[in-house]
Amino acid sequence: MHARYLRTLKFDELELASRRTFFRVTDEDLARLASLRSFAEKHTEAIVEAFYELLLGHPETAKFFSDELAVKHVKKLQRDYFLQLFDGRCDLAYVENRLRVGAAHERIGLAPKWYLGAYRRYLEVVREQLFKTFPSDEARASMESITRIVFFDMSIAIDTYIAANLETIGRHQLAIRELSTPVIRVHERILLMPLIGTIDSLRANQIMDALLLRVVEEQARFVIVDIAGVPVVDTKVADSLLKTTAAVRMLGAQVILTGISAPIARTLVQLGVDVSSMHTCARLQEGIELALQLAGKVIVDREKGGAP
Amino acid sequence: MIDVVAQYRLEIQIEDDIVIVRRKARQLAQARKLDPFATAAITTAVSELTRNVLVHAGGGSVVLEEISDGERYGVRATFEDHGPGIANLELALAGGHSTSKTMGLGLSGSKRLADRFEVKTEKGVGTTVRIEKWQGL
Amino acid sequence: MIGTVPILKIGRTLLVSIQIELSDAVAEGMQNDVLAALERTNAKGIVVDISGFDTVDTYVARILAETAKMAKLMGARSVLVGMRPEVAATLVRMGYTMDDVQFALNLDEGLALLGHVIPR
Repeated sequence: MHARYLRTLKFDELELASRRTFFRVTDEDLARLASLRSFAEKHTEAIVEAFYELLLGHPETAKFFSDELAVKHVKKLQRDYFLQLFDGRCDLAYVENRLRVGAAHERIGLAPKWYLGAYRRYLEVVREQLFKTFPSDEARASMESITRIVFFDMSIAIDTYIAANLETIGRHQLAIRELSTPVIRVHERILLMPLIGTIDSLRANQIMDALLLRVVEEQARFVIVDIAGVPVVDTKVADSLLKTTAAVRMLGAQVILTGISAPIARTLVQLGVDVSSMHTCARLQEGIELALQLAGKVIVDREKGGAP
Repeated sequence: MIDVVAQYRLEIQIEDDIVIVRRKARQLAQARKLDPFATAAITTAVSELTRNVLVHAGGGSVVLEEISDGERYGVRATFEDHGPGIANLELALAGGHSTSKTMGLGLSGSKRLADRFEVKTEKGVGTTVRIEKWQGL
Repeated sequence: MIGTVPILKIGRTLLVSIQIELSDAVAEGMQNDVLAALERTNAKGIVVDISGFDTVDTYVARILAETAKMAKLMGARSVLVGMRPEVAATLVRMGYTMDDVQFALNLDEGLALLGHVIPR
């Protein structure tokens, strides 16, 4: 999952270098962090305890840690996380590791505000311990290095939240798309597919696959594809409609294209489409009538007393 | 960031190998739960490219792999031959190059069917074509 | 490889039902067999059932299309029936639309289609 986020966020060596420069995470900082390792190991327990005291003491965050076992588990993760700050490296593997932490928070629904707030507490405890342990000059320099890597970490965590959210939105869009491409059985062996909204190449592919499956499933002889609801028919959309038409023909059925406006007619002709081989109508109603006629059926107006 | 789950290397020497390679590709695609459309796409592309290796280079080999990016599975096929190389790659990718035994749609068609497509060719040295097809989202 | 694809004669129509994986040689053999059967008989129509195919690459598709053209030269109409959705989608995506071949959904429709043009 984190590997995917690395891609979604376009996090490569270039981005890493740029971000490190901006957050001022220098090699000197990394060396200092590495030298603080034994300090960190000594105080891990106390720092992690203080951290969870805050989280468990607040009703809205306490509910994320349901039982004793879960708390024990996250405390262990937290210790690892804390000590990794003092690994003295800041490469793509480090970033990937940090993305995993952000992703885990996102997964359990822990909002960024709690993450950021809890981190403040973290720093508070670290600062206390630093000034207790080292002379103030050294403590101040150490604190600065820790702050830099911590802010760097936070920027990645926030990115992960955003990437995860974008993914959720993407999934919803996909669901909406599928819903927006229904195939309706209008009569025995006659299907209607009204297309509504923008058609990109992904959706064009889904439309073709879905339609072909239904044609065979229903053994449909005619498929009316209504494109009145498609705002723009450019050459790409026209091409995908032609491909769908060709594929339907290869199954042994026919497409009737309806809802063709003047601009669409122009596009199709300018594309050099062989219109003589296609059934097309301006309006959906005409398309349904044509399909019935081709199927050997007629709609009769009883008031006017048409042919039986 | 792509893991190779399983790997199979097959030789392409005679015409019957087309069916053998194609069958293996289909088997991997089905094992990795690619939908029927994606399965047909990778199987057909593999068939086209295997024939290309045979017709244009007189033989070669293919490595078929089940791959994963941690989230989804896919199938990857890497074809390698030591034939004359593709003289006009641009034309071949546009689908305009045909011989008696190929439609000229082999390379361009496979490219259209694959989610990822790479080709490296050098005159007198040979050609490598790599394609990937993944599970839908 | 001759004889691997069964060819049945129903009235004046040849029925070719391919239920095995089509290698190049089998496809070529099928073409020879169909044309030979046309010569032998007075068949005026050919129905080729490809519902058993899960892969049709452009070479096999071309043999099918060419067989139809050759049959036409010999005075017989051809219909391909039962193409699977994923096969149609794959061929079309590769840019191969088999424009000069006739298609039908299934065997019945294929026979019916030919029935209009072939006297019993």
